Amino acid sequence: MTLGAGRVLLLLGLLLACPPWARAGGMACDAPAELLVANAALPATARAASAGSLRILIVGSASVLGPGTSGPSAAWPARLETLIRARVPRLQLEVVTRGARGLTTAETGAIIAAELARTPFNLVLWQTGTAEAVRGLDLDEMVEQLNEGLARIVAAGADAVLMDQQFSRFVRANANVDAYRDAMLLAAAAHGVPVLRRWELMQAWADADTVDVERAGKQERVAATDKLNDCLAQAMHALIRDGVAEAQGRPGQR
Amino acid sequence: MRGLIRGMQPVAGKPVRDLRADAFRGIALWFILIDHIPGNWLGRLTLRNVALCDATEAFVLLAGYAAGLAYGAALDRRGWAFASATLLRRIGTLYVAHVFLFVVFTAQVGYSAAALENTTYLDETHLDVFGEQPYLALLQALLLRFQPAFLDILPLYIVLLLLLVPALPLLRRPLLLMGLSGAAYVGVRLLEINLPNWTGGGWFFNPLSWQVLLFTGALLGYAPRRRGPAPAVPFHPLLIGAAVGVLLLGLGIVLLGDYGQQWLAALPQPLADLLTTIDKTGLHPFRLLSILALAYLVGHAVPRGARWLRSRPAAPFVLMGQHGLPVFCAGIFLSFLGRLALELDDRWAMQAAVNLAGLAALVLIGVVGAWYRMRERGEVPHAATNPEPVGLRAPAGSSTSAT
Repeated sequence: MTLGAGRVLLLLGLLLACPPWARAGGMACDAPAELLVANAALPATARAASAGSLRILIVGSASVLGPGTSGPSAAWPARLETLIRARVPRLQLEVVTRGARGLTTAETGAIIAAELARTPFNLVLWQTGTAEAVRGLDLDEMVEQLNEGLARIVAAGADAVLMDQQFSRFVRANANVDAYRDAMLLAAAAHGVPVLRRWELMQAWADADTVDVERAGKQERVAATDKLNDCLAQAMHALIRDGVAEAQGRPGQR
Repeated sequence: MRGLIRGMQPVAGKPVRDLRADAFRGIALWFILIDHIPGNWLGRLTLRNVALCDATEAFVLLAGYAAGLAYGAALDRRGWAFASATLLRRIGTLYVAHVFLFVVFTAQVGYSAAALENTTYLDETHLDVFGEQPYLALLQALLLRFQPAFLDILPLYIVLLLLLVPALPLLRRPLLLMGLSGAAYVGVRLLEINLPNWTGGGWFFNPLSWQVLLFTGALLGYAPRRRGPAPAVPFHPLLIGAAVGVLLLGLGIVLLGDYGQQWLAALPQPLADLLTTIDKTGLHPFRLLSILALAYLVGHAVPRGARWLRSRPAAPFVLMGQHGLPVFCAGIFLSFLGRLALELDDRWAMQAAVNLAGLAALVLIGVVGAWYRMRERGEVPHAATNPEPVGLRAPAGSSTSAT
């Protein structure tokens, strides 16, 4: 892949201009299909969507703000909003995004609690687990916070979707990510909450040369990060639609 | 290769060495190398994928066993002061090894961080603590309060052996030792006490709870001195049944976590929550039970004189187990290289190269260690024979080199 930055941007522009289902190839940048399956229902989201108004809260550490992209509109939460609007134009959609670099699960959990206390949401997308893994913080503490946080979201009448760590060869070689990731997947499963398995998705995209930010050259870096965010948004969109279809008793899924 | 194994042939006047502990320690050391290389495909085939315990538990139990054997013998022959001095010398070696591995790890992170140009997109950029505060990090590492990822077993081992120093005389009073150790384990878990970690939280492996496994192993290793080579925990169908039950339940839980997310969600919430809190840090009771059940079953399923222990395929692992410390340290060192290699390229050719080279290097270290020991003993034949103490049965392979 030795495309110039201009051509990559052009290509990217074309990709972004097309609605995801009109694109050649599989869904969500050819992500492995099993990573787009929710394995759990999102009833609150389904109800809200059929009622015509959906409020989504997105909380996480740096990546929800799209660092390294061409701008805030290229971050995955913004891309997700665009995708949902494009698919259901009549939907009254509100997306609130909160986050900062290096936040722990306890800190993002506190943000979610504060936001839910202020206004109701139908769906909470919670990206977490990286700060703990990289800094080697307490694993049990993270699990406790996840259990508490997920129970709180359900008690507030909302659905939750977790997002796990970013795949990076550097992080993999220098931090014990697997232990934290496994604990996170287990906690999500125990609460019947879907997980967007970002680690596996990013690894699959890197293996297939779809997008590999870590190996991208200096010139292609911003374009690659944009693409990564767009692919993540598509994957999250597919996962949410799957969870909604599951809540509606399946046949609605396309 | 088999000619290098200690205890291969029975020596007149000495009971046969229990090669089972050596062989399983060798396998545990190999698994530790594999599990310390994230992204390694073989990591899907190790013990942790089928049981609620892994090579760490096996390593600590067998380390306790070796310590009970060696330092128990020293205690009986030369007294507590001498045995403690031997133990402290071993702890000193472990400490130096840990500091060496820390330096290697720091160099590895520094190298990777220098090669890594793009961190802006990452959630957490605090990737190189040492680079940010080198002097403080060095001090904290020397105090064992800074343990980078994958450098957590040696500090655990060091503190466990330190705890064994005052406990050595209690090897002769197993019920008292087990009572104290068990009470400490329960108290530490209930009160959530852990040694502090500089970067936040506590140690990844809490020595104050893991001590119960080391002391159990030490009592098992010391038992033959009191009761002869009969199994320390006798065969009983009910115990066997219970052990099988514990392991099957553990297998179920592991498989549920890996493949059965939908079923997990169907469980009552308190039970599902309980399954997420089976922690490794404080050696959750179920993990403790799992390793004890596994050890009990293996101990009875594999007789002391099993033929395969003396076979050609088993020889590399027995040798690795007999030279546990250098093999362990080399394993941690090799895992750094393995991680760097997989950072460059993680496709099948590199996977095969990393695993073959890793295992070969471990075996080579075992072989060289055994060869050196033999030559050393050959040149000074008199030093090799210690007079047997009167009135006490010598344990299998009563050497003072434990891992």
